[in-house]
Amino acid sequence: MKKYNENIFRIVITIGAILSSILVLLVFFYILNESLPFLKKVCWKEFLLGGTWSPLSSNPSFSFLPMILGTLYVSFLAIAIVMPLGIGCAFFLSFLVKKSHSKVILSFIDMLAGIPSVIFGFFGLVVLVKFMEQNLDMVTGESVLVGGILLSVMLFPYVITGCAETLEKGKEKYYIASQSLGVSKWYTMRVIMLSYAANSIFVNLLLAFSRAVGETMAVMMVMGNSPIFPRLLGRAETIPSLIALEMGTATYKSIHYSALYTAGLILIVIILIIQFIAYKVNKMGSRRFK
Amino acid sequence: MKEIVLKTEDLCVSYGQKKILKKINTLFEKNKITAIIGPSGCGKSTFLKSLNRTVEEYGGNMEGKIHLNNVNIMDMPLQNLRKSVGMVFQLPIVFPFSIYNNMIYAPKYFGEKKEKLNDIVIKNLKKTGLYDEVKDNLKMMATKLSGGQQQRLAIARCLTVNPEIILLDEPCSALDIKNTANIENMLLELKNEYTIIIVTHNLSQAKRIADNVIFMDEGQIIEEGNQNEMFDNPVNVRTKEYLMYMRN
Amino acid sequence: MKIKDIIFKSWIYISGIIVVVVTFGVFLYFLYKGIKVVTLEFILEAPGGMPLGTEGGVFPAIMGSLMSGLLSGLIGGLLGLCTSIYLVFYCNNKKNQKYMLHALQLLAGIPSVIIGLFGYTVLIVGLGLNKSLISVTLTLTVMIIPFIALRMKKALEETSKDQFICSLSLGIPKGYTIIHLVIPNALKYIMTSLGLGIVFAMGATAPIMFTGAVIIAGVPNKLTDPIMALPYHLYVLVNEGISIEMAYGTAFVLIVLVLLINLICHFIGNFEDV
Repeated sequence: MKKYNENIFRIVITIGAILSSILVLLVFFYILNESLPFLKKVCWKEFLLGGTWSPLSSNPSFSFLPMILGTLYVSFLAIAIVMPLGIGCAFFLSFLVKKSHSKVILSFIDMLAGIPSVIFGFFGLVVLVKFMEQNLDMVTGESVLVGGILLSVMLFPYVITGCAETLEKGKEKYYIASQSLGVSKWYTMRVIMLSYAANSIFVNLLLAFSRAVGETMAVMMVMGNSPIFPRLLGRAETIPSLIALEMGTATYKSIHYSALYTAGLILIVIILIIQFIAYKVNKMGSRRFK
Repeated sequence: MKEIVLKTEDLCVSYGQKKILKKINTLFEKNKITAIIGPSGCGKSTFLKSLNRTVEEYGGNMEGKIHLNNVNIMDMPLQNLRKSVGMVFQLPIVFPFSIYNNMIYAPKYFGEKKEKLNDIVIKNLKKTGLYDEVKDNLKMMATKLSGGQQQRLAIARCLTVNPEIILLDEPCSALDIKNTANIENMLLELKNEYTIIIVTHNLSQAKRIADNVIFMDEGQIIEEGNQNEMFDNPVNVRTKEYLMYMRN
Repeated sequence: MKIKDIIFKSWIYISGIIVVVVTFGVFLYFLYKGIKVVTLEFILEAPGGMPLGTEGGVFPAIMGSLMSGLLSGLIGGLLGLCTSIYLVFYCNNKKNQKYMLHALQLLAGIPSVIIGLFGYTVLIVGLGLNKSLISVTLTLTVMIIPFIALRMKKALEETSKDQFICSLSLGIPKGYTIIHLVIPNALKYIMTSLGLGIVFAMGATAPIMFTGAVIIAGVPNKLTDPIMALPYHLYVLVNEGISIEMAYGTAFVLIVLVLLINLICHFIGNFEDV
């Protein structure tokens, strides 16, 4: 029998944990460090409120505003689509479908989360964009609208799984008590379940939103990527697409390069704000239903 | 002459700011069953858990001294202490392995030879009376046993490391009458070999099996002594009230 | 009253049906389109034709994706497991624990394209590595560490604390308990987390665009060889308009690979105790 050594195990674990922590810190350090030159040189008013993004012209101007708006526009659009569909579907699966069936359906919806986003982008390009071009008489189908629809499909698993879980819990807790009052099944769902799940639905939507904001490939492939102010049926560009498209061409340590890091930083700040709100709402909610 | 195995001196336990035990001083006799009784929330379970320092795993903080055979347990290696002071929990805890693997889990760690493992399993299962019931199914998942059997397996597993003292935390509260009687009889047998300390909320159980009784309330020992004397002639008013209340 | 119920009812039915149809539609679409393209040759041959990719297969891309995915899964899985065990069982300082957790959560929320940026700066520019298997692997590892660590932490926390303490009360130290009791107990969830991590790594496109994936390469022999990767190959095929047919095949292979790895990890995790 080998003698087992507690200290060695502890040391291995600690080293692993420290290594991971260093990597995590390194990522943050680099993002801050590399965007510093840009932040020093360009006034925040210009890059947040300016009008155009043309880093390579002789008189370069750096404004992230079109991209920020594009990112938010397409994400909000996706949420606006996925919200009614997702919540409705969660109700559908929790209350109207046999448990065994809903399990199968849910595991398929979950599998969507495992499909690489480049495949969704491909799907959007060959199905949605083509549809737009053929049926809506658009010159090019690449648009914010397509990006939003595509994103909303990608968000299905994030919204539906969480909501269905909460509804399942609520069903266990209140369903029979409510039914015993003689009200209809629909009334129970609408009044009790909706208010019970409201908080968690909201949190799920926020998290889905932060996912949408960071999505790169799928959106990049269907939105046309023009750094202009977004319109529903026109082309636009998101921050992640900006980074992915221009990183390869930006000269190392140039102001352009540093600007792309700053774009990443802005993205992180947006996500941080969303996650913070979600965290606070979640806390409030768990206090309400103890 | 009484032989003392365990002695506490000014034992205090707190969780954060909350003081659970306030200066406990008491003795435990060798090869006797000592029952700790008291209303719920009086700290009896915490007291039991502090005797092998598991209370620290729940985030408790211990002060004072506990002597095991005249050695302060705070100075002992944790492993040695827990090996000599075994513990059985309220709900039966079996590991999700087979019965056999549950039994050899600890001896294997302590480097017992392969040939001896079988003997250890059989010997200790016999002590708890479980052997005859499961001898053909030692490879069965332990989680498939009934509640009473699981609790006896937990006790048998605790015996595999040859403890001197066994701590039991309301071991029968989740069991029916028949299984409770089983375990009580077993404890009466086991006390010839081990010192047993049991927390119970069941007075008649304490009466049936205990030699000594400790009555606790609000983190302190109110009264202690021989069980006959204490149940028949409690000195303290609070003890009297509690006994009256529990009997009705 | 009645009308509200009807509106509610139709909303639920309609959205339920739309979601189900779309979900299965996406899978069936790729199954239908892909199955026509995918042959044994497609899987086992290198891309050919002019422009490159219009004929032949995707074998180097499959190998590149598998190797980088599994390697980063291995490294990231080990580091993630260590981190989660440390957080749950060894970190005594509550403050440190909180900071570490927040940092991991934040990194997990960072879009993968930013991790790619980081990998590019540190590995390609900073350390002067070639675009290669190793640079892709390391970038993906950084990406999946928080993803895996957070899921494994949840898995470890869900195993019974009573069992853990019960083992300690037998005189057995933490580490032995973790290896012989906690990990076997949580194996199912640990393996699922690992599977999801590998799948996440294999599907990532943005992080590998500038850290290693190239348009054409052979099956890598050593860590410093450049690699092809399925998602990037798909992106190039579509974006350059090389061949939509081949793109359907590539997408099909990628989806099947991803589902297969999930399934395998699920299967390993469901083994009864050994």
